[in-house]
Amino acid sequence: MTNRSPYYFIIAAMLVLVTSCTRLNITNYYHKHHSALDSIEDTYRRAYRNKPFSIEFTDRPFDRVSLELITDTLTYIYEYRVGEPRLQDTLLKFGYDTVPVNWLINRMRTMECTWIDKLDYYVEDQKHSLIYLSLWPRAFNSPFVNKKYYILTYFQQPQYYDSKGRLFASRRRRHLRKINAEVFFRLNDRVFYTISDRFR
Amino acid sequence: MSSRIKLFIVCLLCSNTGFTLPAPADITWRLSSDTIWRLPPNTGHVSSTPEQALLLLRNTKLPDSSIWWPNVKLSLFIENLKANINFPLKIYQGSNTNFCGYAALSYLPLQDDPLSYTRFMLSLYLDGKATWNNISFETSPAIHQAAGTLHFKGILDIRHADQIWFLILADHFRSYLNFFNRRFHPGSEDTFWAAVNYGKFNRMIRQLLGWQVEARGSDVLRPHIPHLFDYLTNCLTTGTTYLYVNNTYLHKKNHNKFKSRFPTHYIVLEQIHRIPGQEDWVDIVYWDYGGRTLRQMDLHFLKRILFGVSHCTPPTDNK
Repeated sequence: MTNRSPYYFIIAAMLVLVTSCTRLNITNYYHKHHSALDSIEDTYRRAYRNKPFSIEFTDRPFDRVSLELITDTLTYIYEYRVGEPRLQDTLLKFGYDTVPVNWLINRMRTMECTWIDKLDYYVEDQKHSLIYLSLWPRAFNSPFVNKKYYILTYFQQPQYYDSKGRLFASRRRRHLRKINAEVFFRLNDRVFYTISDRFR
Repeated sequence: MSSRIKLFIVCLLCSNTGFTLPAPADITWRLSSDTIWRLPPNTGHVSSTPEQALLLLRNTKLPDSSIWWPNVKLSLFIENLKANINFPLKIYQGSNTNFCGYAALSYLPLQDDPLSYTRFMLSLYLDGKATWNNISFETSPAIHQAAGTLHFKGILDIRHADQIWFLILADHFRSYLNFFNRRFHPGSEDTFWAAVNYGKFNRMIRQLLGWQVEARGSDVLRPHIPHLFDYLTNCLTTGTTYLYVNNTYLHKKNHNKFKSRFPTHYIVLEQIHRIPGQEDWVDIVYWDYGGRTLRQMDLHFLKRILFGVSHCTPPTDNK
Protein backbone atom coordinates (compact mmCIF):
# COMPACT_ATOMS: atom_id res chain seq x y z
CA MET A 1 0.00 0.00 0.00
CA THR A 2 2.79 2.36 0.86
CA ASN A 3 4.27 1.82 -2.61
CA ARG A 4 1.13 3.11 -4.19
CA SER A 5 0.94 6.35 -2.25
CA PRO A 6 3.14 8.33 -4.71
CA TYR A 7 0.73 7.45 -7.53
CA TYR A 8 -2.23 8.67 -5.52
CA PHE A 9 -0.34 11.86 -4.86
CA ILE A 10 0.48 12.34 -8.55
CA ILE A 11 -3.13 11.70 -9.62
CA ALA A 12 -4.44 14.07 -7.00
CA ALA A 13 -1.92 16.71 -8.03
CA MET A 14 -2.95 16.34 -11.68
CA LEU A 15 -6.62 16.72 -10.77
CA VAL A 16 -5.89 19.85 -8.79
CA LEU A 17 -3.83 21.20 -11.66
CA VAL A 18 -6.56 20.53 -14.22
CA THR A 19 -9.31 22.10 -12.13
CA SER A 20 -7.22 25.07 -11.12
CA CYS A 21 -6.52 25.90 -14.74
CA THR A 22 -10.21 26.27 -15.52
CA ARG A 23 -10.76 29.83 -14.41
CA LEU A 24 -7.55 31.07 -15.90
CA ASN A 25 -8.45 29.56 -19.24
CA ILE A 26 -11.83 31.23 -19.42
CA THR A 27 -10.45 34.64 -18.71
CA ASN A 28 -7.63 34.12 -21.17
CA TYR A 29 -9.99 32.78 -23.78
CA TYR A 30 -12.17 35.87 -23.62
CA HIS A 31 -9.29 38.31 -23.68
CA LYS A 32 -7.70 36.48 -26.58
CA HIS A 33 -10.90 36.37 -28.64
CA HIS A 34 -12.85 39.31 -27.32
CA SER A 35 -13.05 41.22 -30.59
CA ALA A 36 -14.55 38.21 -32.39
CA LEU A 37 -16.91 37.42 -29.53
CA ASP A 38 -17.98 41.02 -29.10
CA SER A 39 -18.70 41.31 -32.81
CA ILE A 40 -20.97 38.25 -32.58
CA GLU A 41 -22.85 39.88 -29.73
CA ASP A 42 -23.14 43.20 -31.52
CA THR A 43 -24.32 41.68 -34.79
CA TYR A 44 -26.82 39.47 -33.01
CA ARG A 45 -28.23 42.36 -30.97
CA ARG A 46 -28.78 44.43 -34.13
CA ALA A 47 -30.26 41.53 -36.10
CA TYR A 48 -32.51 40.52 -33.19
CA ARG A 49 -33.88 44.07 -33.03
CA ASN A 50 -35.14 43.71 -36.62
CA LYS A 51 -36.59 40.23 -36.17
CA PRO A 52 -36.05 38.01 -33.13
CA PHE A 53 -34.38 34.64 -33.44
CA SER A 54 -31.83 32.40 -31.75
CA ILE A 55 -29.20 30.04 -33.11
CA GLU A 56 -28.10 26.65 -31.77
CA PHE A 57 -25.48 24.24 -33.03
CA THR A 58 -26.70 20.79 -32.17
CA ASP A 59 -23.60 18.65 -32.75
CA ARG A 60 -19.91 18.60 -31.89
CA PRO A 61 -18.53 19.19 -35.43
CA PHE A 62 -20.78 22.26 -35.66
CA ASP A 63 -22.34 20.91 -38.85
CA ARG A 64 -25.99 21.07 -37.82
CA VAL A 65 -27.64 24.33 -36.94
CA SER A 66 -31.04 24.86 -35.40
CA LEU A 67 -32.84 28.17 -35.82
CA GLU A 68 -35.58 29.42 -33.56
CA LEU A 69 -37.54 31.99 -35.53
CA ILE A 70 -39.74 33.97 -33.20
CA THR A 71 -42.95 35.54 -34.46
CA ASP A 72 -45.87 37.10 -32.58
CA THR A 73 -47.86 33.89 -32.59
CA LEU A 74 -45.39 31.04 -32.94
CA THR A 75 -41.77 30.10 -32.45
CA TYR A 76 -40.61 28.00 -35.40
CA ILE A 77 -37.76 25.57 -34.74
CA TYR A 78 -36.00 24.17 -37.80
CA GLU A 79 -32.75 22.24 -38.05
CA TYR A 80 -30.42 22.24 -41.06
CA ARG A 81 -26.99 21.19 -42.19
CA VAL A 82 -24.78 24.25 -42.47
CA GLY A 83 -24.86 25.50 -46.05
CA GLU A 84 -28.11 23.76 -46.92
CA PRO A 85 -30.16 25.86 -49.42
CA ARG A 86 -33.34 25.22 -47.42
CA LEU A 87 -31.94 27.41 -44.68
CA GLN A 88 -31.79 30.43 -46.98
CA ASP A 89 -35.29 29.73 -48.28
CA THR A 90 -36.65 29.66 -44.75
CA LEU A 91 -34.96 32.91 -43.77
CA LEU A 92 -36.33 34.65 -46.85
CA LYS A 93 -39.79 33.19 -46.34
CA PHE A 94 -39.93 34.55 -42.79
CA GLY A 95 -38.55 37.93 -43.83
CA TYR A 96 -35.13 37.74 -42.16
CA ASP A 97 -32.12 39.59 -43.46
CA THR A 98 -29.97 36.66 -44.53
CA VAL A 99 -26.65 38.55 -44.38
CA PRO A 100 -26.29 38.94 -40.59
CA VAL A 101 -27.81 35.51 -39.88
CA ASN A 102 -25.40 33.76 -42.25
CA TRP A 103 -22.50 35.81 -40.88
CA LEU A 104 -23.47 34.78 -37.34
CA ILE A 105 -23.75 31.10 -38.26
CA ASN A 106 -20.29 31.11 -39.84
CA ARG A 107 -18.67 33.13 -37.08
CA MET A 108 -20.29 31.08 -34.33
CA ARG A 109 -19.04 27.94 -36.01
CA THR A 110 -15.52 29.34 -36.15
CA MET A 111 -15.60 30.39 -32.52
CA GLU A 112 -17.25 27.12 -31.37
CA CYS A 113 -20.23 29.01 -30.05
CA THR A 114 -23.11 26.62 -29.56
CA TRP A 115 -26.00 28.92 -28.59
CA ILE A 116 -26.94 32.58 -28.73
CA ASP A 117 -30.11 34.09 -27.38
CA LYS A 118 -31.51 37.22 -25.76
CA LEU A 119 -32.76 36.92 -22.19
CA ASP A 120 -34.91 39.29 -20.19
CA TYR A 121 -34.15 40.01 -16.57
CA TYR A 122 -35.69 42.35 -14.04
CA VAL A 123 -34.14 44.92 -11.75
CA GLU A 124 -36.48 46.79 -9.37
CA ASP A 125 -39.43 45.55 -11.46
CA GLN A 126 -37.93 47.05 -14.62
CA LYS A 127 -37.23 44.88 -17.64
CA HIS A 128 -33.70 44.68 -19.03
CA SER A 129 -32.13 42.36 -21.53
CA LEU A 130 -28.84 40.62 -22.02
CA ILE A 131 -27.25 38.53 -24.74
CA TYR A 132 -26.49 34.98 -23.67
CA LEU A 133 -23.63 33.33 -25.53
CA SER A 134 -22.54 29.72 -24.91
CA LEU A 135 -19.16 28.48 -26.03
CA TRP A 136 -18.18 24.85 -26.31
CA PRO A 137 -14.42 24.85 -26.86
CA ARG A 138 -12.70 21.59 -27.67
CA ALA A 139 -10.68 21.85 -24.46
CA PHE A 140 -13.87 20.95 -22.59
CA ASN A 141 -14.76 17.98 -24.75
CA SER A 142 -13.55 15.07 -22.69
CA PRO A 143 -15.57 11.97 -23.64
CA PHE A 144 -15.72 10.68 -20.09
CA VAL A 145 -17.12 13.69 -18.33
CA ASN A 146 -20.24 15.76 -18.78
CA LYS A 147 -19.90 18.62 -21.18
CA LYS A 148 -19.00 22.06 -19.87
CA TYR A 149 -19.77 25.34 -21.52
CA TYR A 150 -18.36 28.82 -21.17
CA ILE A 151 -21.31 31.14 -20.78
CA LEU A 152 -20.81 34.81 -21.56
CA THR A 153 -23.48 37.36 -20.74
CA TYR A 154 -23.41 40.77 -22.36
CA PHE A 155 -25.31 43.43 -20.45
CA GLN A 156 -26.36 46.76 -21.90
CA GLN A 157 -25.24 48.72 -18.83
CA PRO A 158 -22.24 48.33 -16.51
CA GLN A 159 -23.10 45.95 -13.68
CA TYR A 160 -22.38 45.90 -9.97
CA TYR A 161 -20.14 43.20 -8.56
CA ASP A 162 -18.42 42.31 -5.30
CA SER A 163 -14.72 42.14 -4.42
CA LYS A 164 -14.54 38.63 -5.91
CA GLY A 165 -15.99 39.89 -9.18
CA ARG A 166 -19.34 38.16 -8.65
CA LEU A 167 -22.35 39.73 -10.32
CA PHE A 168 -24.70 41.61 -7.99
CA ALA A 169 -28.46 41.83 -8.37
CA SER A 170 -28.48 45.64 -8.34
CA ARG A 171 -26.96 48.58 -6.56
CA ARG A 172 -29.64 48.50 -3.84
CA ARG A 173 -29.99 44.72 -3.52
CA ARG A 174 -26.43 43.78 -2.82
CA HIS A 175 -26.67 40.07 -3.16
CA LEU A 176 -25.71 37.80 -5.98
CA ARG A 177 -27.72 37.71 -9.18
CA LYS A 178 -28.18 34.29 -10.66
CA ILE A 179 -28.86 33.71 -14.33
CA ASN A 180 -30.11 30.25 -15.20
CA ALA A 181 -29.28 29.32 -11.60
CA GLU A 182 -25.61 30.17 -12.05
CA VAL A 183 -23.43 32.80 -10.37
CA PHE A 184 -21.53 34.93 -12.86
CA PHE A 185 -18.07 36.49 -12.66
CA ARG A 186 -16.74 39.71 -14.10
CA LEU A 187 -14.70 39.92 -17.28
CA ASN A 188 -15.34 43.62 -17.73
CA ASP A 189 -18.10 45.98 -16.60
CA ARG A 190 -20.59 44.70 -19.18
CA VAL A 191 -19.44 41.13 -19.75
CA PHE A 192 -19.66 38.33 -17.18
CA TYR A 193 -18.98 34.64 -17.45
CA THR A 194 -19.61 31.33 -15.80
CA ILE A 195 -18.94 27.66 -16.48
CA SER A 196 -22.06 25.57 -16.73
CA ASP A 197 -23.25 22.05 -17.46
CA ARG A 198 -25.94 23.54 -19.67
CA PHE A 199 -25.55 25.76 -22.67
CA ARG A 200 -28.95 27.43 -22.06
CA MET B 1 -32.68 -1.33 1.83
CA SER B 2 -34.00 1.44 4.01
CA SER B 3 -37.73 1.79 4.59
CA ARG B 4 -37.73 5.20 2.90
CA ILE B 5 -36.31 3.74 -0.29
CA LYS B 6 -38.80 0.85 -0.16
CA LEU B 7 -41.66 3.30 0.23
CA PHE B 8 -40.32 5.37 -2.64
CA ILE B 9 -40.18 2.31 -4.92
CA VAL B 10 -43.70 1.23 -3.94
CA CYS B 11 -45.00 4.71 -4.67
CA LEU B 12 -43.18 4.74 -7.98
CA LEU B 13 -44.75 1.48 -9.05
CA CYS B 14 -48.19 2.55 -7.91
CA SER B 15 -48.12 5.85 -9.71
CA ASN B 16 -49.77 4.68 -12.91
CA THR B 17 -52.73 6.71 -13.88
CA GLY B 18 -55.34 4.39 -15.19
CA PHE B 19 -57.87 5.25 -12.48
CA THR B 20 -60.75 7.64 -12.70
CA LEU B 21 -61.89 9.86 -9.88
CA PRO B 22 -65.39 11.28 -9.72
CA ALA B 23 -65.29 14.95 -10.49
CA PRO B 24 -66.72 17.21 -7.78
CA ALA B 25 -69.54 19.26 -9.19
CA ASP B 26 -69.92 22.38 -7.11
CA ILE B 27 -67.68 25.36 -6.90
CA THR B 28 -67.99 27.39 -3.74
CA TRP B 29 -66.38 30.69 -3.03
CA ARG B 30 -65.31 32.46 0.07
CA LEU B 31 -65.73 36.13 -0.57
CA SER B 32 -64.87 39.11 1.46
CA SER B 33 -67.77 41.30 2.55
CA ASP B 34 -66.17 44.55 1.43
CA THR B 35 -65.95 43.36 -2.15
CA ILE B 36 -68.44 44.53 -4.73
CA TRP B 37 -69.69 41.61 -6.76
CA ARG B 38 -71.89 42.59 -9.64
CA LEU B 39 -71.88 39.25 -11.31
CA PRO B 40 -74.41 36.48 -10.78
CA PRO B 41 -73.37 33.90 -8.19
CA ASN B 42 -71.49 30.86 -9.32
CA THR B 43 -73.76 27.92 -9.99
CA GLY B 44 -71.24 25.24 -10.83
CA HIS B 45 -68.68 24.71 -13.55
CA VAL B 46 -69.62 27.26 -16.17
CA SER B 47 -67.27 28.43 -18.86
CA SER B 48 -66.83 32.16 -18.86
CA THR B 49 -65.37 34.90 -20.98
CA PRO B 50 -62.38 37.20 -20.50
CA GLU B 51 -64.76 40.17 -20.48
CA GLN B 52 -66.57 38.78 -17.43
CA ALA B 53 -63.26 38.23 -15.67
CA LEU B 54 -62.05 41.76 -16.46
CA LEU B 55 -65.35 43.20 -15.27
CA LEU B 56 -65.00 41.35 -12.00
CA LEU B 57 -61.44 42.56 -11.60
CA ARG B 58 -62.46 46.15 -12.32
CA ASN B 59 -65.32 46.06 -9.84
CA THR B 60 -63.43 44.53 -6.98
CA LYS B 61 -61.95 46.77 -4.33
CA LEU B 62 -58.61 45.51 -3.18
CA PRO B 63 -56.54 46.89 -0.32
CA ASP B 64 -53.19 48.43 -1.27
CA SER B 65 -51.42 45.69 0.61
CA SER B 66 -52.56 42.33 1.86
CA ILE B 67 -51.85 41.14 5.38
CA TRP B 68 -51.74 37.62 3.99
CA TRP B 69 -49.24 38.30 1.24
CA PRO B 70 -46.81 40.87 2.66
CA ASN B 71 -44.42 40.73 -0.31
CA VAL B 72 -47.02 40.90 -3.07
CA LYS B 73 -47.40 44.29 -4.73
CA LEU B 74 -50.98 45.12 -5.63
CA SER B 75 -50.07 46.85 -8.90
CA LEU B 76 -48.08 43.83 -10.10
CA PHE B 77 -50.81 41.46 -8.91
CA ILE B 78 -53.52 43.27 -10.88
CA GLU B 79 -51.36 43.69 -13.98
CA ASN B 80 -50.57 39.99 -13.86
CA LEU B 81 -54.24 39.01 -13.62
CA LYS B 82 -55.09 41.28 -16.54
CA ALA B 83 -52.26 39.79 -18.59
CA ASN B 84 -53.39 36.25 -17.81
CA ILE B 85 -56.99 37.05 -18.75
CA ASN B 86 -56.12 38.85 -21.97
CA PHE B 87 -53.20 36.68 -23.03
CA PRO B 88 -53.69 33.29 -21.36
CA LEU B 89 -50.98 31.63 -23.43
CA LYS B 90 -48.34 33.95 -22.00
CA ILE B 91 -48.34 32.39 -18.55
CA TYR B 92 -44.74 31.46 -17.78
CA GLN B 93 -43.44 29.08 -15.16
CA GLY B 94 -40.20 30.99 -14.58
CA SER B 95 -36.73 29.89 -15.55
CA ASN B 96 -35.26 26.92 -13.72
CA THR B 97 -38.33 26.26 -11.60
CA ASN B 98 -40.28 23.02 -11.39
CA PHE B 99 -43.56 24.82 -11.97
CA CYS B 100 -44.10 23.54 -15.51
CA GLY B 101 -46.89 21.17 -14.47
CA TYR B 102 -48.83 23.98 -12.84
CA ALA B 103 -48.25 26.32 -15.77
CA ALA B 104 -49.49 23.62 -18.16
CA LEU B 105 -52.51 23.02 -15.94
CA SER B 106 -53.29 26.77 -16.09
CA TYR B 107 -53.83 26.47 -19.83
CA LEU B 108 -57.31 25.04 -19.16
CA PRO B 109 -58.86 27.47 -16.64
CA LEU B 110 -57.32 30.56 -18.23
CA GLN B 111 -58.87 29.73 -21.57
CA ASP B 112 -62.02 27.95 -20.49
CA ASP B 113 -63.03 29.74 -17.32
CA PRO B 114 -61.08 32.94 -16.63
CA LEU B 115 -63.87 34.20 -14.38
CA SER B 116 -63.48 31.33 -11.91
CA TYR B 117 -59.73 31.77 -11.99
CA THR B 118 -60.04 35.50 -11.30
CA ARG B 119 -62.48 34.96 -8.42
CA PHE B 120 -60.19 32.41 -6.91
CA MET B 121 -57.17 34.70 -7.10
CA LEU B 122 -59.07 37.68 -5.71
CA SER B 123 -60.36 35.57 -2.82
CA LEU B 124 -56.83 34.41 -2.13
CA TYR B 125 -55.55 37.96 -2.10
CA LEU B 126 -58.32 39.17 0.19
CA ASP B 127 -58.65 36.25 2.59
CA GLY B 128 -55.36 34.43 2.27
CA LYS B 129 -57.29 31.28 1.42
CA ALA B 130 -59.87 30.24 -1.14
CA THR B 131 -61.89 27.31 -2.37
CA TRP B 132 -62.11 25.94 -5.87
CA ASN B 133 -64.35 23.01 -6.75
CA ASN B 134 -64.76 22.15 -3.06
CA ILE B 135 -61.00 22.05 -2.59
CA SER B 136 -59.97 24.40 0.16
CA PHE B 137 -56.56 26.02 -0.22
CA GLU B 138 -55.22 27.07 3.15
CA THR B 139 -51.55 27.63 2.73
CA SER B 140 -48.74 27.67 5.23
CA PRO B 141 -47.17 30.92 6.48
CA ALA B 142 -44.02 30.11 4.53
CA ILE B 143 -45.98 30.28 1.28
CA HIS B 144 -47.60 33.58 2.29
CA GLN B 145 -44.14 34.99 2.90
CA ALA B 146 -42.59 33.55 -0.25
CA ALA B 147 -45.07 34.90 -2.80
CA GLY B 148 -43.61 38.04 -4.32
CA THR B 149 -40.05 37.15 -3.38
CA LEU B 150 -39.13 34.74 -6.19
CA HIS B 151 -36.32 36.36 -8.15
CA PHE B 152 -34.09 35.60 -11.12
CA LYS B 153 -36.90 33.66 -12.79
CA GLY B 154 -37.38 35.91 -15.82
CA ILE B 155 -40.78 37.56 -16.10
CA LEU B 156 -42.06 35.52 -13.15
CA ASP B 157 -40.12 38.04 -11.01
CA ILE B 158 -42.86 40.61 -11.66
CA ARG B 159 -45.76 38.17 -12.00
CA HIS B 160 -46.90 38.19 -8.40
CA ALA B 161 -50.27 36.56 -9.06
CA ASP B 162 -48.54 33.69 -10.85
CA GLN B 163 -46.16 33.29 -7.92
CA ILE B 164 -49.15 32.90 -5.58
CA TRP B 165 -50.90 30.52 -8.00
CA PHE B 166 -47.93 28.22 -8.54
CA LEU B 167 -46.95 28.20 -4.88
CA ILE B 168 -50.40 27.37 -3.54
CA LEU B 169 -50.87 24.59 -6.10
CA ALA B 170 -47.48 23.09 -5.25
CA ASP B 171 -48.19 23.43 -1.54
CA HIS B 172 -51.61 21.78 -1.74
CA PHE B 173 -51.16 18.92 -4.21
CA ARG B 174 -48.52 16.49 -3.04
CA SER B 175 -47.26 13.18 -4.40
CA TYR B 176 -44.48 10.68 -3.91
CA LEU B 177 -42.02 12.90 -5.76
CA ASN B 178 -42.48 15.49 -3.01
CA PHE B 179 -41.94 12.95 -0.23
CA PHE B 180 -38.48 14.14 0.82
CA ASN B 181 -39.30 17.85 0.33
CA ARG B 182 -42.41 18.31 2.38
CA ARG B 183 -42.03 21.86 3.59
CA PHE B 184 -41.35 24.96 1.56
CA HIS B 185 -38.03 26.66 2.09
CA PRO B 186 -36.60 29.54 0.04
CA GLY B 187 -35.45 28.00 -3.23
CA SER B 188 -37.86 25.04 -2.99
CA GLU B 189 -39.50 26.10 -6.25
CA ASP B 190 -36.44 24.70 -8.04
CA THR B 191 -36.49 21.37 -6.20
CA PHE B 192 -38.61 18.24 -5.91
CA TRP B 193 -40.88 20.19 -3.57
CA ALA B 194 -42.55 21.59 -6.70
CA ALA B 195 -42.25 18.50 -8.91
CA VAL B 196 -45.36 17.12 -10.59
CA ASN B 197 -45.54 13.44 -11.48
CA TYR B 198 -48.01 12.16 -14.03
CA GLY B 199 -50.59 10.87 -11.56
CA LYS B 200 -50.61 14.14 -9.67
CA PHE B 201 -50.98 16.14 -12.86
CA ASN B 202 -54.06 14.20 -13.94
CA ARG B 203 -55.46 14.31 -10.41
CA MET B 204 -55.15 18.10 -10.34
CA ILE B 205 -57.10 18.44 -13.57
CA ARG B 206 -59.81 16.09 -12.37
CA GLN B 207 -60.21 17.46 -8.88
CA LEU B 208 -59.52 21.14 -9.37
CA LEU B 209 -61.10 21.76 -12.75
CA GLY B 210 -63.62 18.94 -12.85
CA TRP B 211 -62.50 17.88 -16.32
CA GLN B 212 -62.52 14.27 -17.38
CA VAL B 213 -59.07 12.90 -18.11
CA GLU B 214 -58.28 9.85 -20.17
CA ALA B 215 -54.64 9.19 -19.33
CA ARG B 216 -52.23 6.79 -20.99
CA GLY B 217 -48.73 6.51 -19.63
CA SER B 218 -46.75 6.66 -16.42
CA ASP B 219 -43.66 8.19 -14.81
CA VAL B 220 -41.40 5.31 -15.76
CA LEU B 221 -42.76 3.34 -18.69
CA ARG B 222 -43.73 4.72 -22.06
CA PRO B 223 -47.30 3.99 -23.19
CA HIS B 224 -47.82 1.54 -26.00
CA ILE B 225 -49.73 3.46 -28.64
CA PRO B 226 -49.38 1.62 -31.97
CA HIS B 227 -50.79 4.33 -34.24
CA LEU B 228 -49.53 7.39 -32.43
CA PHE B 229 -50.28 9.91 -35.15
CA ASP B 230 -53.88 8.74 -35.54
CA TYR B 231 -54.35 8.58 -31.78
CA LEU B 232 -53.10 12.11 -31.21
CA THR B 233 -55.08 13.44 -34.16
CA ASN B 234 -58.21 11.91 -32.68
CA CYS B 235 -57.43 13.36 -29.25
CA LEU B 236 -57.05 16.84 -30.72
CA THR B 237 -60.48 16.75 -32.32
CA THR B 238 -62.27 15.92 -29.09
CA GLY B 239 -60.51 17.80 -26.30
CA THR B 240 -57.35 19.30 -24.88
CA THR B 241 -54.30 17.06 -25.09
CA TYR B 242 -51.33 17.18 -22.76
CA LEU B 243 -48.12 15.34 -23.50
CA TYR B 244 -45.76 14.27 -20.73
CA VAL B 245 -42.32 14.25 -22.31
CA ASN B 246 -38.65 13.85 -21.63
CA ASN B 247 -37.48 17.43 -21.95
CA THR B 248 -33.80 16.61 -22.07
CA TYR B 249 -34.41 15.60 -25.69
CA LEU B 250 -37.16 18.04 -26.64
CA HIS B 251 -35.52 21.17 -25.22
CA LYS B 252 -31.90 20.10 -25.19
CA LYS B 253 -29.69 21.90 -22.71
CA ASN B 254 -26.44 19.99 -23.14
CA HIS B 255 -24.72 17.59 -25.51
CA ASN B 256 -24.10 14.79 -23.04
CA LYS B 257 -24.18 11.29 -24.46
CA PHE B 258 -25.97 9.92 -21.43
CA LYS B 259 -29.24 11.65 -20.71
CA SER B 260 -31.95 11.14 -18.14
CA ARG B 261 -34.48 8.55 -19.26
CA PHE B 262 -37.38 10.04 -17.33
CA PRO B 263 -40.10 12.48 -18.30
CA THR B 264 -39.80 15.96 -16.84
CA HIS B 265 -42.05 18.29 -18.75
CA TYR B 266 -45.66 18.90 -19.76
CA ILE B 267 -46.68 20.43 -23.05
CA VAL B 268 -50.07 21.08 -24.60
CA LEU B 269 -50.36 19.58 -28.05
CA GLU B 270 -52.32 21.91 -30.32
CA GLN B 271 -51.75 20.56 -33.83
CA ILE B 272 -50.07 17.66 -35.54
CA HIS B 273 -49.67 17.24 -39.30
CA ARG B 274 -47.72 14.84 -41.47
CA ILE B 275 -45.13 16.51 -43.65
CA PRO B 276 -45.99 15.78 -47.30
CA GLY B 277 -43.55 13.37 -48.88
CA GLN B 278 -42.07 12.33 -45.53
CA GLU B 279 -44.36 9.72 -44.05
CA ASP B 280 -42.68 9.47 -40.66
CA TRP B 281 -42.14 13.19 -40.11
CA VAL B 282 -44.66 15.51 -38.54
CA ASP B 283 -45.09 19.19 -37.79
CA ILE B 284 -46.30 19.62 -34.25
CA VAL B 285 -47.51 22.82 -32.64
CA TYR B 286 -47.38 22.79 -28.87
CA TRP B 287 -47.64 25.21 -26.00
CA ASP B 288 -45.08 25.53 -23.23
CA TYR B 289 -42.87 28.22 -21.64
CA GLY B 290 -45.43 30.94 -22.27
CA GLY B 291 -45.84 30.48 -26.00
CA ARG B 292 -46.56 28.25 -28.96
CA THR B 293 -43.82 26.43 -30.82
CA LEU B 294 -43.85 24.67 -34.15
CA ARG B 295 -41.22 22.09 -34.83
CA GLN B 296 -40.64 19.18 -37.12
CA MET B 297 -39.85 15.79 -35.71
CA ASP B 298 -39.66 12.15 -36.53
CA LEU B 299 -42.58 10.12 -35.15
CA HIS B 300 -40.05 7.66 -33.72
CA PHE B 301 -38.43 10.51 -31.83
CA LEU B 302 -41.82 11.60 -30.52
CA LYS B 303 -42.52 8.06 -29.36
CA ARG B 304 -39.17 7.92 -27.63
CA ILE B 305 -39.70 11.07 -25.60
CA LEU B 306 -43.39 10.50 -24.90
CA PHE B 307 -44.33 9.07 -21.49
CA GLY B 308 -47.92 10.17 -21.19
CA VAL B 309 -50.90 11.42 -23.17
CA SER B 310 -53.70 13.05 -21.18
CA HIS B 311 -56.83 13.66 -23.16
CA CYS B 312 -59.00 16.14 -21.26
CA THR B 313 -62.65 16.84 -21.95
CA PRO B 314 -64.88 19.33 -20.16
CA PRO B 315 -67.41 18.05 -17.65
CA THR B 316 -70.74 17.07 -19.14
CA ASP B 317 -72.77 18.02 -16.07
CA ASN B 318 -72.84 21.76 -16.68
CA LYS B 319 -75.54 23.46 -14.76
